[in-house]
Amino acid sequence: MIQTENLCKTYNDLMVVKDLNLKVEKNDIYGFLGPNGAGKTTTIMMLLGLVPKSGGKIYLLGNEMKPNNVELKRKIGVVSENQYFYRDMTASEYLNFFGEIYEVENRQKRIDKLMSAVGLEKEKNKNLGAYSKGMQQKLAFVKALLHDPELLILDEPVANLDPTSIKQIRDLIEEEHEAGRTVFVSSHLLSEVEKLCKKVGIINQGKLLAEDNMDNIKRKLSDTVTIRIELNQEAQNLEPVLSNLPFIQGFQCKENKIEVQLKTDRDYRKDLSEAIFNSGYIILSMQAKEMSLEEAFITITQQNISLLTDRGNGQ
Amino acid sequence: MANQGRITKILLKRDLLYSLYSWGYYGVLFVSFFASSFILKNFLDGIREDDILVSAFPLNYPLYITIIIISLYLVLISAISISREREQGTLEVLFYGPVTSKNFLMAKFWKDFFLGVISLGFTAVYFFLVSFFTNLGFTPGLVRALIMGVFLISCVVSFGLFISSLTSRVRSSVITLIAVFGAFLAIQFSYSTLLGLEKESLPTSLFYIRETLQLVFKGINWVSPFAYLSRGLDSVLLDNWSLFFTNVLYCVVYVTVFLSLSIYIMNRRGVKA
Ligand SMILES: Nc1ncnc2c1ncn2[C@@H]1O[C@H](COP(=O)(O)OP(=O)(O)OP(=O)(O)O)[C@@H](O)[C@H]1O
Ligand SMILES: [Mg+2]
Repeated sequence: MIQTENLCKTYNDLMVVKDLNLKVEKNDIYGFLGPNGAGKTTTIMMLLGLVPKSGGKIYLLGNEMKPNNVELKRKIGVVSENQYFYRDMTASEYLNFFGEIYEVENRQKRIDKLMSAVGLEKEKNKNLGAYSKGMQQKLAFVKALLHDPELLILDEPVANLDPTSIKQIRDLIEEEHEAGRTVFVSSHLLSEVEKLCKKVGIINQGKLLAEDNMDNIKRKLSDTVTIRIELNQEAQNLEPVLSNLPFIQGFQCKENKIEVQLKTDRDYRKDLSEAIFNSGYIILSMQAKEMSLEEAFITITQQNISLLTDRGNGQ
Repeated sequence: MANQGRITKILLKRDLLYSLYSWGYYGVLFVSFFASSFILKNFLDGIREDDILVSAFPLNYPLYITIIIISLYLVLISAISISREREQGTLEVLFYGPVTSKNFLMAKFWKDFFLGVISLGFTAVYFFLVSFFTNLGFTPGLVRALIMGVFLISCVVSFGLFISSLTSRVRSSVITLIAVFGAFLAIQFSYSTLLGLEKESLPTSLFYIRETLQLVFKGINWVSPFAYLSRGLDSVLLDNWSLFFTNVLYCVVYVTVFLSLSIYIMNRRGVKA
């Protein structure tokens, strides 16, 4: 659906996108993650041919993307980072205008359906100048979906929205995804992507640090994962045994409950349970304490980017 | 290709309606009619005193004033038409979809062109009424000037669009426009001043400056839409058909060149402010 080969962008000798190789398959919901200034918007603009690329190749829906390739653009829906409107138009006029451009069939019906999906059905005849930021964002969504695009490209689609609206939009994205659309969504609101996306690419300073499914990324992002274990008895002499194991980074114990920090370069849970069992304990439950992506993300961008680059490429 | 025309038409419709609903347009028409009425009144007072009619085209000068004011307005609105959408980001939104630079530029061209033609229509009605009430003839010369006007406004509009394709904000478009015309006028003025001096009395340095200015001046005559305007309107006054058609042809070439240039620049420059 989307594929880039060594995509580059330089602004005045500054590389803001470096040799980017993205691969988004049909029917993915792909999260494009990165901190502010990472190059997300620049990449998206290059995908759409609105910012000329400095190098590399772009394929959308199996065809090479060239600027002014209208046939390709017709199959893509875009929600941009900032919303721009003809402020003199009402929402209804605006959507009809774009409906006409995209040759949407049953235009009025489609507009009404989408407007109620985002809860704007009552604001149809309001001037866009009077729309709040959240309303604008939702309207941008309606505009993007109007022509039933195969591919949805969303640049931070839930920025500016309150929790209820975020849920509305997320449900809408999921619904549209189930209807067979491929979704490419950029964000630095990581918790958002975590709930929505199956696959993520992480970009920082114009470089793709990792591209994997959500679980693997989360595992890679943290160098340890915390496991909570409930034992059949109080864990008195377990500490010296476990602390000696090379894959164990930390150990805390409280009565019959223990927390162990495991390395994440592979799954050590089996080794751990064996060690515990061999010390004469029985495991009643074992649970990974999830690290939210938000936590993990702070880890990569600020502390140990090397985690992703080393292992990300090694796997 | 049919699709291209379709998109241009949709963009044009929105833009034209928007402009026709705005007060500015009618304000300018009013001002231009007011100015030409003023000239006309002076002219009529002159006739009354002398009791003779000296001009073969009595209404043409007032008409020219109207055309010039309309042209100034058109060059301004066309100069901001692309940069405004660039600045407001709406250009970008259009380009997410199946809109090309050519669609967009042609829509802007036809919008400003039609605004011009509509004002020429109003002008025709106005001058018809004037000729009816003053008994000054609604001469074929007037009709020819109006026809020439259609071509001249298209030159003016393409020049404005050219400026607009280069700039990314309304402010910079206006400043560029003023700077360009200011430079044109300054060169014209200094050239004609130097031309007024005797060739023998010129020091060699000034002589070379004059020769250079002459070249620049000739260049401006091909670039400035107002040079086309004055040549075109002159050709009407001279009552020379072949000159008239030559000027029409020049206008068509000028419009083609400047529109193509603007499309090229828009493609290069992108949609971002
Ligand atoms: N027109 C431009 N000229 C020069 N530099 C630019 C331009 N546009 C973007 N940049 C630079 O490119 C880098 C990437 O910007 P980009 O907008 O792609 O980041 P982003 O990942 O979308 O960030 P955010 O999360 O803040 O939206 C930034 O360092 C930015 O300063
Ligand atoms: Mg961005």
